[in-house]
Amino acid sequence: MAKLVTLTIDGITVQVPPGTNVVDAAKKAGIDIPVFCYHPKMEPVGMCRMCLVEIGRPVVDRATGELVRADDGSVKIQFSPKLETACTTPVSEGMVVINTSQKVKDGREDILEFLLTSHPLDCPVCDKGGECPLQNLTMEFGSGQSRYIYDEKMHSAKHVPLGDLIYLDRERCIQCARCVRFQDQIVDDPVIGFYNRGRALEIVTYSEPGFDSIFSGNTTDICPVGALTTADFRFGARPWELNAAASICTQCPVGCNLTINVRREAISQGRMAIKRIMPRQNEWVNEIWICDKGRFGYHYVESEERLDQPLVRKDGKLTPVSWDEAINLVSMRFKQAGSNLLTLVSGRLSNEDLYNIRKLTDSLNGKSALYTQMGGGDVVAQVGMSTGSNLANLGKGDVILVIATDLHQEAPIWWLRVKQATERGAQLIVANARSTRLDRYAKYPIRYAYGEQNNLIAALVQLIDPQKFVDAKAIKHLSEQSIIKDTAEALKAAQNLVIFFGNEGSGVADSQVLAQTCAILLATTNHAGKPNNGLIPVWQRANDQGAWDMGWRPPTDLSTSIKEANALYIVACDPAGDDPRLSLTPDFLVVQDLYLTPTAKLADVVLPALPFTEREGSLTSGERRVQRYYPAIPGRTGALADFAIAAQIAKACGITLEERSAAKVMDAIARENADYAAISYTELANVEEQWPIIGRADLYYGGTSYENKQGLGMQLQNAVQKGEPFQISLPELVEQSGEGLLAVPITRLYDRGNTLIPSQLLRTHLVSTVMWINAKEAKQQGVEEHDVVQIECGETSALVTVELEDAVPDGVVLVPRSVGIPISEPCRVRLHITERV
Amino acid sequence: MMLDDLARGLATTLKMMFEKPVTIQYPEEKRRVRTRFKGRHHLQRYENGLEKCIGCSLCAAACPADAIFVEAAENTDEERYSPGERYARVYEINMLRCIFCGYCQDACPTEAIVLGDNYELSFTDRRQAIYTKEMLLDPVPPGGQPTPQRTPSGVYTRSVPVMKDPSD
Amino acid sequence: MNTLLEKYTDEVQTILAKYPPDQKRSALMPLLYLAQREYGYISKQAMNEIGEILDITATEVASVVGFYTLYHDQPAGKYRIQVCTDLPCALRGSEEFLKQLCENLGIQPGETTADGLVTVEEVTCLAACDRSPVFQVQTPDGLVYHENQSVENAMKLIRTWQSKP
Repeated sequence: MAKLVTLTIDGITVQVPPGTNVVDAAKKAGIDIPVFCYHPKMEPVGMCRMCLVEIGRPVVDRATGELVRADDGSVKIQFSPKLETACTTPVSEGMVVINTSQKVKDGREDILEFLLTSHPLDCPVCDKGGECPLQNLTMEFGSGQSRYIYDEKMHSAKHVPLGDLIYLDRERCIQCARCVRFQDQIVDDPVIGFYNRGRALEIVTYSEPGFDSIFSGNTTDICPVGALTTADFRFGARPWELNAAASICTQCPVGCNLTINVRREAISQGRMAIKRIMPRQNEWVNEIWICDKGRFGYHYVESEERLDQPLVRKDGKLTPVSWDEAINLVSMRFKQAGSNLLTLVSGRLSNEDLYNIRKLTDSLNGKSALYTQMGGGDVVAQVGMSTGSNLANLGKGDVILVIATDLHQEAPIWWLRVKQATERGAQLIVANARSTRLDRYAKYPIRYAYGEQNNLIAALVQLIDPQKFVDAKAIKHLSEQSIIKDTAEALKAAQNLVIFFGNEGSGVADSQVLAQTCAILLATTNHAGKPNNGLIPVWQRANDQGAWDMGWRPPTDLSTSIKEANALYIVACDPAGDDPRLSLTPDFLVVQDLYLTPTAKLADVVLPALPFTEREGSLTSGERRVQRYYPAIPGRTGALADFAIAAQIAKACGITLEERSAAKVMDAIARENADYAAISYTELANVEEQWPIIGRADLYYGGTSYENKQGLGMQLQNAVQKGEPFQISLPELVEQSGEGLLAVPITRLYDRGNTLIPSQLLRTHLVSTVMWINAKEAKQQGVEEHDVVQIECGETSALVTVELEDAVPDGVVLVPRSVGIPISEPCRVRLHITERV
Repeated sequence: MMLDDLARGLATTLKMMFEKPVTIQYPEEKRRVRTRFKGRHHLQRYENGLEKCIGCSLCAAACPADAIFVEAAENTDEERYSPGERYARVYEINMLRCIFCGYCQDACPTEAIVLGDNYELSFTDRRQAIYTKEMLLDPVPPGGQPTPQRTPSGVYTRSVPVMKDPSD
Repeated sequence: MNTLLEKYTDEVQTILAKYPPDQKRSALMPLLYLAQREYGYISKQAMNEIGEILDITATEVASVVGFYTLYHDQPAGKYRIQVCTDLPCALRGSEEFLKQLCENLGIQPGETTADGLVTVEEVTCLAACDRSPVFQVQTPDGLVYHENQSVENAMKLIRTWQSKP
C-alpha cells in the first residue's frame, strides 16, 4: 500500500492515498465540498467552479528543503491568493483546506449567481425539482437575489427530444458536460456534444438516429439540473411522492441492482404503479449504472394483458375458475402422470421458484428440463467467479478472454466493466467469428469460423500445455497462427484470468463443451478457484445460473422429451412462441406465466404468476452472486408467486413444500444445497460502506442513483475454491464440417421477447425480423438489401428482410434471437426470395 | 321592590322587541363571509380559458393533512390545458381531510388554487367529499375557450408566469 | 457514398498522412477546411462524411465546427467580410465603418448581398487593434487581413471581386 498523504480540511486531519483530489478527500472525512461538473466516476475538468476552496501549503525553504516554521514552532502555511478548484487539485502532504470561510462562501454565492443568470427557475414543473443539486445548493449557498437584468435572460428551446428516450431542456443546462463526458469517457459512445461557445453553448446530437446509446438513461441520473430527463418518467410524479423498493434487474445475467420508484396512481385505477427504475449502487456488480433495457424495459410487469385468475379449458375454451378448482385438477393429473410428467422452466424464475418446482417434480417422479439455448452451468459451479471477485479489481497484468458472445448487446454492464478493466491495463482477448463492439479495446482480437470456438480454446490449452491433447490435428491450423500463439503467451503470464463465454455459433451441447474447454484453460493456467478469476457464462436469462445450481439441466432433445410426456408443466417460458412448429399436444398441458402467451393459449390449465416486482425472491447472477429483490408493489389479486403455486400443487398431492415466504424457501435451499449453505435472506441483506458515497443527501456528488441499504448479495464459492477435486474431462476435438449457408442466431439487446414488447417507449429500437449478410455473400446468394426472403432450416422456415452488414463472415447469415424466427441453434439454411422492393 | 325589578326587566325585553334582530334565518338568508375567510377551493383560469394549474403538486406537498392528490401529464399544442409543458390530469381534494389552512394557496406558484368563500360542505357519503378537478375548476370566463384548447405552437412555452420581482 | 472522399481522394490522403494512423482524428480541422472550401460552409452531410473518414461520430465533428468561429454551419456569400467591433476598434471608428459598409451594400450585418457574393459579419477581436478599422475576409482561397480600412477601400475591393468571373 502506497504511503498515505495527510492533510487538514476545516481542522479535521484526513489521510488519503496520493493522487486523491481534495473533493474526494473531504468526502471521505464527511465534509461536503459542493460540485456540479465533477463526478467521482469521471476525470475532473474544473468547469463549473463550484468547488472553490482556500488551499494552503507548507512553506519550504528552497535552500535547505526544510519546512519553514513560525516562532511558535508550527509549520508556516502559505495560502494562495485566490480560491482554488478542489476537484482538480490533488492532495499534498501538510495541505490545509478551508471550506467554510466567508471568502469561500462568497465565491460559491457568486458562482451560483452566474449559473442562474439564464436558468428558467421552472422548478415547479421540472422533473428534477426535489432532487436537484442546483436547487439544493442554491438553497444552501445562493443569495436569493440576482444583480443580473431579468430581461436579458437567454431563452432557449425547452423541449428538445435528443432521441426518443431522453429529452433536453436547453434553458436548464448549466454546461457541466457531465453527460457529454459520460458518453465519451465511460461508455465510449460520443453521440452528444457541445455546440458553440460561451452563453450560446448548447448540447446537441448530430448522430442518426439522435441520442441512441444503450446507456443513455444514466445521463439523466448524473445531470445536476433538470436539463436531461427521461421520456419514461416525464412528469410522472414529484420525487418526494415516490416510494422506493430495492430490486434486481431480470433482463440479463449481470444482475444490476435497481431501485423501483412507485406511487399510487389514479389512471392505474388507484393501484400502486411503477413510475421509474433507478440504479442502486453495488460496486461489485453494476457500480451506479444500468442500461436502458433495464431502465425502460419493465413495462411488461404492469401490462393490462396480465392474467389475474386461473383458467381451465372447458368445452374447448379457457374459462376462469377458482384457485382450488385449478389446483385440484392439476394435482390430480400430475399424480396420474407420475413419471410421464415433464416440467419445463426457464431462468426467468427465482431460485425459490426453481427449487420448489423441482422438488414438486421430483416428488412425483417426473422429469425436469431447463428451457435454454446454452449449456455449461455445472462447469460454472466448479470454476465460476470465485468468492471475493470483482471485475473492478482487474487491471495491469490481468487478462480477460471473451469468446462467442457480443457483450455490448447481451450484457451491457459487463461490456462496460470489461472496457474499463482494459483502461486500467488489463489485456483483452476477444474471440468471435465476427467483429463486435468490444474489439476496439482488445489487444488480441481473434477471428475463427463459427463452430470453431471449442477448438480455438483447445488450441490455446495445447499451446500452454502441449501434453494436453494427444491428437491435435483438428486444432493445428489454429495453434499455428501467430496471434493465437501470442495470446497463449499472454494467458500464461496472466496474474488473473476471467473468461466470458456465450453461445453465439453454438447450441446447447456445443456451448457445454465450450464451457468445459474454458474451464480446462483456467485450470491449465492455474487460475481456477482464485478470487478475481473464473468463468462467466453470458446466459440469455437472468437466473439461468440459479436454475443450474438448483439442479435443472437442458434436455438432450426437447421435442422428443415433450412428445414422450403425458403431462407437461411449463413455467415462465414460451416454447410455442419461439417455435410455432413445436408440437405441444400432451394429454395435459399446464402453463404458468404472466400472460396468455402462445404456449398458454394451447394449455388445459393456465396458472397466473406474479412478476418480480410484486414478490420476493433471489437470483444468481453469471458471476455467481446471489442477490435478493423485494416486493415493490402489492401483488395483483388473483395471481401468486411461482414458488407458492408449486407449493399449493404439492400440498394437493400430499407433499409438503414451503409456501409462506421466499425467505423460508431459501432456508430450505441452504439446508440441502451445499453451495448455498451460507445463504439466508438476512445475509443477502448485508451492506458495507461503498466508495464513492452515492445517493445520500448530497445528490450533487454522485447523482440520483440510490444508495444500497438493502443488500449487496453474496458471491458463492466455487467447487475448486472449496477444495473439491476438479472434475472436468477433456472434450474430444471435432473437426469443422458442413456445407452450405450457415444461419447463426445472435442475441440483440432489444429483441421482441414477451418481456420487452409491452414497453412502448422502446418500440422503435426493437430489432425486426431481419437477416444480416455481407455484400459479397448476398451477391453469391442472389439476394439484395431489403429483399424479403424465406429462410429454411430443415423443416422450419421464416420470412426475413435482408440487411447488408460488413461484419458478417462469408458463408454465414445472422438472425436475431427472440423475434419469432424459429432458429435457436446454428443451422444450414436455404434462401428463397419472395418479394423484392 | 320585586315588582320594580320585574318591571325593569320587562322594559328591557320590550325595548329589544323593537330593535333589529342579530340572528339571521339560515339557510334562507346568508351572511357574507369576512374577506380573509377560507372556504372551499377553486382552481382558477386565465382570461383565455387556460387553466392556471400546472400540476406541480406543490400544494399536495404543502398540505399538512395530505388532502390533495395531483397527477400531471404533458400538454401539446393540439391538446392544451395550461401554459407550458405540464398540466394536472387529475386534481382531487378530500374535503373531509382539509383543514382549510390555506397552505396550498401559499405554495401555488401560479396562483391557480385559491380558497373561496363556500363553507357549505356536507356529505352523506365519504366519496362525495372528494372534489375532483371538474368540480374545483372555475367556469370558463367570457371570451375564453374551454380546455383542452388547440393553440398555435411556440406561444405558451412557459409554465410559470414571468415574475420580474419574486418578492411581489 | 462519401462525396468528399471521392472528389478529393488524394488531398484527403495527404492530410491523413500527416498524422499517426491511430490518431486519425487529428486530421479533423484540415478536413473541415477542405469541406468549407468545397461547399462554402460545412453541411450536415459534410460532417457525416468527415466523421466517416476519421472514424468518429458526426456529433464529435459538429462540436469542433460549433467551437471555432472560422467554421460555418450555414451557407453564406462567397466572400465573408468579418469586421471587428470590439472596444479598441470601436474607438477607432469600426462601428461607423461597419454601418456605412453595410449601407453601401444594402444589407444588415450578418446578411448576404442579393448576388450571393458578400456576407458581412461582426466578430470579436482580430488582434490588430492599432490598425483598425480592420476586417478579415474568408475567401475560397483562404483568409486575408485588411487593416486601416476605409469604406472606399473596402468597396473597391468588393468591386474587384464582382468583376472576377
